[in-house]
Amino acid sequence: MTPLSFGVALVAFVILGPLLGCFLTGADRIITARMQGRVGPPFLQPYYDVRKLLAKERRSLNSFQGYYLILALIMTILSGAFFFAGGNILLVVFLISLSSLFFIIAAYSTRSPYAEVGAGREIIQVLAYEPMIILLGVFFFLITDSFDTSAVASLELPLVVALPLVFAGLLFILTIKLRKSPFDLSFSHHAHQELVKGITTEMSGRSLAVVEITHWYENVLFLGYVGLFFVWAPPSTLILAVVVALAVYFLEIVIDNSFARVKWQFMLSWSWIVSLLCSALSLVLLAVLNGFVV
Amino acid sequence: MVILASLVIVPLITALLLLVFRSNRARAVLVIAAVVLLVALSLVLTVRYLPASSGFAVAQSGIVSYVMLGVDLLCCLYVLYRGIRASNYLAIFLAALQGILALVYEFGFSHNAAVSTDVYVDALSLIMTLIIAVIGGAICVYALGYMQSYQEHLEHEGSRLAVSGEPSRVAEALRLIRDRRHVFFALMFVFLAAMFALVFSNRLSWLLTAWEVTTVCSFALIGYDRTEESIRNSFRAVVVNLSGGLAFTLALIMLAGGGTPIFELDKLIEAGVDGALVLPLMLLAFAGITKAAQMPFQGWLLGAMVAPTPVSALLHSSTMVKAGVFLLIKLAPTFGWNVPGLFVLIVGALSFLGCTALAISQSNAKRALAYSTVANLGLIVCCAGVGTPEASWAAIFLLIFHAAAKALLFCCVGTAEHHLGSRNIERLDNIFVRMPWLASCMALGMMAMFIAPFGMLVSKWAALVSLIESGHLELLFVLAFGSALTFVIWAKWLGKVLAIGREDERISTRVSRTETVSLAFMAFLLIALTLAIPYVSELFVMPYLWETGQILQLPLWSTASDVLGYDNLMIVSVVFMVMLALLAVQILRRRPPSNDTVYLAGVGADSEERSYYNAFGELSDATQRNWYLDELFGEKILVRPATILLSAVIAVFFIFGIILELMLV
Repeated sequence: MTPLSFGVALVAFVILGPLLGCFLTGADRIITARMQGRVGPPFLQPYYDVRKLLAKERRSLNSFQGYYLILALIMTILSGAFFFAGGNILLVVFLISLSSLFFIIAAYSTRSPYAEVGAGREIIQVLAYEPMIILLGVFFFLITDSFDTSAVASLELPLVVALPLVFAGLLFILTIKLRKSPFDLSFSHHAHQELVKGITTEMSGRSLAVVEITHWYENVLFLGYVGLFFVWAPPSTLILAVVVALAVYFLEIVIDNSFARVKWQFMLSWSWIVSLLCSALSLVLLAVLNGFVV
Repeated sequence: MVILASLVIVPLITALLLLVFRSNRARAVLVIAAVVLLVALSLVLTVRYLPASSGFAVAQSGIVSYVMLGVDLLCCLYVLYRGIRASNYLAIFLAALQGILALVYEFGFSHNAAVSTDVYVDALSLIMTLIIAVIGGAICVYALGYMQSYQEHLEHEGSRLAVSGEPSRVAEALRLIRDRRHVFFALMFVFLAAMFALVFSNRLSWLLTAWEVTTVCSFALIGYDRTEESIRNSFRAVVVNLSGGLAFTLALIMLAGGGTPIFELDKLIEAGVDGALVLPLMLLAFAGITKAAQMPFQGWLLGAMVAPTPVSALLHSSTMVKAGVFLLIKLAPTFGWNVPGLFVLIVGALSFLGCTALAISQSNAKRALAYSTVANLGLIVCCAGVGTPEASWAAIFLLIFHAAAKALLFCCVGTAEHHLGSRNIERLDNIFVRMPWLASCMALGMMAMFIAPFGMLVSKWAALVSLIESGHLELLFVLAFGSALTFVIWAKWLGKVLAIGREDERISTRVSRTETVSLAFMAFLLIALTLAIPYVSELFVMPYLWETGQILQLPLWSTASDVLGYDNLMIVSVVFMVMLALLAVQILRRRPPSNDTVYLAGVGADSEERSYYNAFGELSDATQRNWYLDELFGEKILVRPATILLSAVIAVFFIFGIILELMLV
């Protein structure tokens, strides 16, 4: 990753990230509506929503919440830029954790009972998905001998061939990261399974718009993770990656509409079991493939 | 050489003066002057010797050896005396055995041995010197104000007891009231002197003496309050650390009695690299593990928090436990895929995972900090056990940044405890409104413990990479799950500290000036270190690795490049600058006051107070307790199995070590 490639990726991600994220959410809302037998909103409804939020009167409990949310947004943008510029995959993970932390602090800063419940649940969600994300970086290195995401461009076979189980583990925790039911514990897009509004209870107007935009960026970044498993040397494979990422997103929508929210104990224990099993078996698989026994 | 000697002598003289001049004013002048002098000396030493390492022979080393032996025996006698008074037979036994073995070692082997290098300086001992002088010094200055209000608190308690009128109570009250702060400060400085001696000694018998002095200083400081609990805990600490010291002495005797007698640290490491030593290395590693409070010995460090907070700050950041990991990092070149290496690595890794989980369940701020210390030291120990230059890089980085962050955190918790009257994390409520700058320092310290772009995260990142490169794939699980657990400890606590509740009285102004200044200094130091991450690596850590590689003729070490790459370190530094810039914007911005009310589901009574009408129409406060996940990570669930498991690990490894040693002979 050179400063130039980072600069290009940064500009591209800043502009294209929310566009794609907005379109994804728009499609999500229409597909979800159709699954539920409704017509659904216009495709650009997420954009209209955010525009309206931005125009609302500014109300906040303190002057810090907005600041933390902006920091969360900036860290997400930075990590996405590093990811798509071919930067260090662990750095991407750490910046995403930083972004999550600021989001959590933003909720805690209000000292609001409902927001605190949401923030506590968000922490449990981080606890659930973080190990798999870190292990994914490790396996990435074991295959490509580099931590730079750009290393996939010199692979002869896609990562998914060598690491099918790691990919499965990623899919499992992706539901948490994309905030899809049954793992949308900290706040849900579905009104029917939310007590108040979880972690975003005290966020309104501009703050809520920032949260929404951050979420768009995050969705694109994590679909990028999915795509990473399907890119190898020929540049045309990028198209395959995009198609698979979209298919996975569709799968997540199906899951979202098929399951009711679970308790945190279920989410935590199954995420850890799946992460542990997937990575341990992957290690064994790699050892067998490499023809040596650890 | 003169600077080396004065770094040990200046704190000792200060300690004596502190015992003589007992007024508050004289104490403040003495402590501040001594700390400034120590910091200046350590800076001069750094400029003078960095990056090369040099060794010196001490003229009249025989006399120094006698003095050192005398000090060691005094330490043993002191523990004996206290042990007899408290009828603690284990402590008596260990202290007596220690004294006898020290005599045997000195006169049976060491005294007339030809030693070419008595003391040395290298980049690692310079790093330690700076940590001891700067962070240890800041804690001593902090203690000035802290102990003032601590003494006032004791006197308050004492007078309350005295008023109750019972004769037995009155005696206790008088004992409580007695001002022994001169002893406290003298001990703090002896501690610093012992630490300096420890990082410069190449002659093993001197190293042993310094090691024992830190044990006894911590013993005396933990028992400072003279309450039943503090005496019990101080004995727990001294028993564990004397066992470590005993292992240390046994190792020295084995080394001296071997085919080619070894009396020097550098020779020991050389022999260890050649694979000629197994059991002595394991014994030394055991000593390091006890001092670093690794599981199953974590109990002594947790018990140590009964002492006044500056003691905890000192024990956790710049002295004591750091002596343990310092020794292990020094020995790191001898570790790797061998029995001692795996022993150290497994104990460290399990301590990291176990204590991280345990820290989540703690609502007592000091206990949570203590578990987090053991966990982080576990990671350092684990990295030392891996034995590659990359892992050592990570270990040294962890050592530096842990010292800076933990000192700040302990001091913050101490001040908060004095002014809010509780060390319970839940009682920190609204601290951001009541003591905004203290809450900010605390938040800084917490973030520095676990998140990008701070040093601890960078070190963990490096640890991860070095573990992969050295083929320890099983440990990656430990690190991945451990990191996620770490996030929970700090994120929930951070949320508590940064919460902004109702308008409340500001009480920051009541904090004493020395406390404020040293807290601000420690926060500044942490920020500066974080900004300078690439330079810390280039100027201090890498030179140490290269030097070590050249001296020991280890090609991997002498050509090591930093684990993460200079570019990534720079990126981290830049990310931090972005954060600081945004922080400045937030501070400078004109802040709109709160113009909204908190959501209380339509039955809210008072938004400021977070109160509402409950189902009976009565007024209730909406309160929220943090998650402690007791049913998963509680002490009741984890401590026992972890203790059994780790004791078994240690036992099995020592059996292996003894068998191997017999085979070598």
